[in-house]
Amino acid sequence: MAGMIQQVQMTGIVKRFPGVLACNNIDFDLHAGEVHALLGENGAGKSTLMKILYGMYQLDGGSIAIDGAVRRFHSPADSLDAGIGMIHQHFMLVPTMTVAQNVALGQSSDKKFLLDLKTVTERICELSAAYGLKVNPNDLVGHLSVGEQQRVEIIKALYRGASIIILDEPTAVLTPQEVDDLFIILKKMVKEGHGLVFISHKLHEVTALCDRITVLRDGCKMGTRPAAGVERHELIKMMVGRDLKELSHRDYKPGAERLTITDVRASGDRGTETLKGINLSVHAGEILGLAGVSGNGQLELAECLIGIRKVDSGRILLDGLDIASMKLNERIAKGMAIIPEERMRDGAVNDFSVQDNVFLHDHTDKEFRTGIFLNFKKMAAHAKKLVGEYTVKTPTLETPIKNLSGGNIQKLIMARELARKPTVLIAAQPTRGVDIGASEYIHQRLLMQRDAGTAILLTSEDLDELYALSDRIAVIYEGTIMGVFLRQDTDIQTLGLLMAGIRPGDAPKPDLPIASCEG
Amino acid sequence: MMNVFSFDVLSGVLRTMIALSTPFLYAALGETFSQLSGVVNLGVDGIMLLAGFFAFYAVFLTGNVWLGLLAAMIVGLIMGLIMSLVSVTLKAQQGISGIGLQMFGLGMSSLLFKVLVGTVKTVSGFAPVKIPLLGDIPFLGPILFNNNVLVYGGFLLVPISWWILEKTTLGLKIKAVGQNPAAADSVGINVNRIRYFSVCLGAVLAGVAGASLSISIANLFQDNLTAGQGFIAVALVYFGGWSPVGVLGGALLFSLANSAQLWLQVLGINVPASLAVMLPYLLTIVVLTVAVNRGKQPAALNKQFFRGEN
Amino acid sequence: MKLTRILMAFVLFALIGATAFATGTKEAAPATGAAKPLRIAVVMPSSTTDMAFSQSMWQALQIIQKEMGGASALELKYSENMFIVPDAAAALRDYASQGFDIVIGHGSQYGSSIREVAPDFPETVFAWGTDVNNFGLKNVYAYTAAAEQGGYVNGVLAALLTKTGRIGVTGPVEVGDAKTYIDGFVNGVASVNKSMPISKTWTGSFSDVALMTAAAKTHIANGAGALTGSSQSVVGSIGAAKEAGNVLWFGTQADQASLAPNLTVASQVYDWTGMLRDIIANRKAGKLGGDAYILTIANGGLKIAFNPGFSIPADVKAKADAAITGIKNGTIKALP
Repeated sequence: MAGMIQQVQMTGIVKRFPGVLACNNIDFDLHAGEVHALLGENGAGKSTLMKILYGMYQLDGGSIAIDGAVRRFHSPADSLDAGIGMIHQHFMLVPTMTVAQNVALGQSSDKKFLLDLKTVTERICELSAAYGLKVNPNDLVGHLSVGEQQRVEIIKALYRGASIIILDEPTAVLTPQEVDDLFIILKKMVKEGHGLVFISHKLHEVTALCDRITVLRDGCKMGTRPAAGVERHELIKMMVGRDLKELSHRDYKPGAERLTITDVRASGDRGTETLKGINLSVHAGEILGLAGVSGNGQLELAECLIGIRKVDSGRILLDGLDIASMKLNERIAKGMAIIPEERMRDGAVNDFSVQDNVFLHDHTDKEFRTGIFLNFKKMAAHAKKLVGEYTVKTPTLETPIKNLSGGNIQKLIMARELARKPTVLIAAQPTRGVDIGASEYIHQRLLMQRDAGTAILLTSEDLDELYALSDRIAVIYEGTIMGVFLRQDTDIQTLGLLMAGIRPGDAPKPDLPIASCEG
Repeated sequence: MMNVFSFDVLSGVLRTMIALSTPFLYAALGETFSQLSGVVNLGVDGIMLLAGFFAFYAVFLTGNVWLGLLAAMIVGLIMGLIMSLVSVTLKAQQGISGIGLQMFGLGMSSLLFKVLVGTVKTVSGFAPVKIPLLGDIPFLGPILFNNNVLVYGGFLLVPISWWILEKTTLGLKIKAVGQNPAAADSVGINVNRIRYFSVCLGAVLAGVAGASLSISIANLFQDNLTAGQGFIAVALVYFGGWSPVGVLGGALLFSLANSAQLWLQVLGINVPASLAVMLPYLLTIVVLTVAVNRGKQPAALNKQFFRGEN
Repeated sequence: MKLTRILMAFVLFALIGATAFATGTKEAAPATGAAKPLRIAVVMPSSTTDMAFSQSMWQALQIIQKEMGGASALELKYSENMFIVPDAAAALRDYASQGFDIVIGHGSQYGSSIREVAPDFPETVFAWGTDVNNFGLKNVYAYTAAAEQGGYVNGVLAALLTKTGRIGVTGPVEVGDAKTYIDGFVNGVASVNKSMPISKTWTGSFSDVALMTAAAKTHIANGAGALTGSSQSVVGSIGAAKEAGNVLWFGTQADQASLAPNLTVASQVYDWTGMLRDIIANRKAGKLGGDAYILTIANGGLKIAFNPGFSIPADVKAKADAAITGIKNGTIKALP
């Protein structure tokens, strides 16, 4: 391809947001034919740096040079013209339109103001063949899987002639198999002479795919390393600023059955049956991990367990007692604790103070009351104890919880729930959107709770995390359990296939022909 | 009593339906463009009133119906620019600014009418034009091909709108801006410009709708001439599921119900008048309940767009 | 901030516009001169230019003002488009507390408001219509129009003049003088030809001109050769008659000949001047209310305004005059 960008040089980039220095004098460079990873925790400045390159943000200092010529991008349209494309974490697609319409959007048409979908479709098929990007141009985007939508985004960028493509956390939403497929595509693009920026916080992906790795922390560049031969703990130290504690090897000694789920069926928000007969049991002193691609029923199952979704049929036994039709506060009284998936929606009241959030449920406890009045002294003491014990970083107990970082909010919710010494804990995606440091802490706490004898049901879309923490792992796919395995009897590869609905021994799915691209 | 099911009656019902549906077609098709781009314009009724007044006033002064139509379109354009400025550039709540526009149109048209005209006066509006040959088709000819230019225009607007929305890059941009403005912005589409265009187009068409009341149907102006028809037009957009053909169906159904109830009364069929006048509204509610169109609603409807937020 | 200021300006703009419509308060003339003028305020449901009910009252008041010697002798104030009754009640109370001598609630929907306000201002004269109930209050007049009388005369004319043998009636809602007018009209037609078909439509709205137009067109398509109707939205019916070109129009409440000079045969005109003169004179004599006025042809409150632009055959005119005389001397009953 002629006119490909050979080199991008960002020098001394500074970007300020009100109260935050998002990028503090960062240098970054990229060559054609390489994948350059940007590694860092949430809020390290990775996305901000790349949005500057893509023209979405304007820089406050520094310069960008493309093939040696200094350029300034005022809008995404400018960068697109220069040959820079970006695949956002949240896809920039219109779900009610077809793939071809999405690609044609904003493009000048050969037929002036008339839509020329035929030409667009042909070109999509060419790109699809050249890079192995399988999509049907006539499919409605809203009907595509996340992986397919991502391919549409890549096609959009290629269609516009982008030679530099920025991928913002592209694997966050994919199954392991989809990640493998994506890496094959990306490697093909590199071979064709594209330069790629790969934003991620997953170390193993970065080392598997990339040529060079630049680590950011708190808006500063911590260094660039070649991927070959780099030590994992060195990268972690650059990201977090200290070494992480390794999860210790643990004995698995399950106790009595605490939570029993028998043939539970429930409908999703759209009225269709999302849980099609779930059977699971969780024992005292174990973590049962529930693996699955988002949207396969794990959210609904968690909601059934905590009592905010109606169970159509089946039983949920807590220590032998059917709680399927109990209210949430009754379940809590019976020893259940919940770390909800939507922590800001279901786990906390945003405008309430830290202390008030600690007592969202327990304010009715006799311990914190004097007659009908709340005993604020005791409450403050309790809240202070929890905040200290769980290392929640908050200026005061009166600070509204919305001003805390995601990790600290999650620690506080955890402190509140675990302080009740529950027999069963439902932890739905407890580390989603939480940075590595806080994640590590949450992991340690979950394991402590397990050792203390609590039965824990853990869901996570991060298969590595799930595999590392769980004693047993169940895989959910389209509302059914594909299987339950002891940790040592399975591996991530097998789990990944099950998450995609493929059982070991199944014949590999034939590649579906893409109708409109054939003949 | 006449035979209710005679061809004459049927023809009369359909003729009245065609005439009544014209203002709804213009206003609702215009609102469709506006809403597809993500802007609910509740000021349609006010635009219809002020544009209807100016259309009437221009014809009253000059006797030229085309000048009346032009005046209505200009007033519509100005009102559309005000609506866009307030709700797109200044990012005010669309519902509030739309109601503001409606009140402004209602009050201003009434005031100007009083000051400039004083009392009810009639003008000669658009006269029916019989289309050669087609107009001679028995039964259908007089119903469909013996109307005035504004009526033909309203019905032609249905395929034209469909064509713009489905077959042009502009239509694709309008729908993208209403569904996912961030996505449209990310591929270099000027979201605000598309919204300005769509709102103004909608307002110009609302202006024509006003003109079709004052210089095609009633041929006069009076306080609150629209009697809330602009709001019904907004409802018809939901009713029609944001598609021109759906809007056509809704406009025809509503007008048919109205026309049928008038004929029921004229023919002396013994239904209480108060029940008969309820018929169109009852029918609308029933159809709205049965045909759930929520899924088709533009996802970014009634939402302001700020760049850099997802 | 600039942005906020523009927004504020817009909202203000809209509010001013809306106020101009909704209350439409207007001082007909400033009070000047040494002598303290008589002050009359009127609250009306539609506009003073509606070519119908409200206009008839406003015109009468202006005639009285001229007779009395202009604004220095009689100060007039009105609130129009007061279709929201609680707003009208507030306006009535306002006028009374501002010291107006005579306060008129010109609409049958204002009855309860008058009943509530009048006892608080025993020195003020209140009048309201159309109704005959003064609630037994000493400072309240009720007034109404025997609309059926003009309706009867119009009916006689319509039956004699329609070329198609068919007549259409367009009304808003089946209440008040809209209903009595039409009842009288039907009776008048029947007095000429018992079997002549009359179709009636009610649109359900006093203001929906477009629907009224469609209703009139429906009558015309059904073969009506003469149309009549009441309410402010009948201007739509008149427009439809004019467009058809050969359909006769019979008006009521105000002289509607100017809207269709070639087709309007006659209009029943409400003339409130006699009643107003009486109320003013009574007040001077110290009587503040307690009566009910009924406009009739006999007492001159109702007039049949024949349109000079439309030539009525002599024999038809003679029959109409005979009907007028009959109603005057009581030999003809307008209502069956």
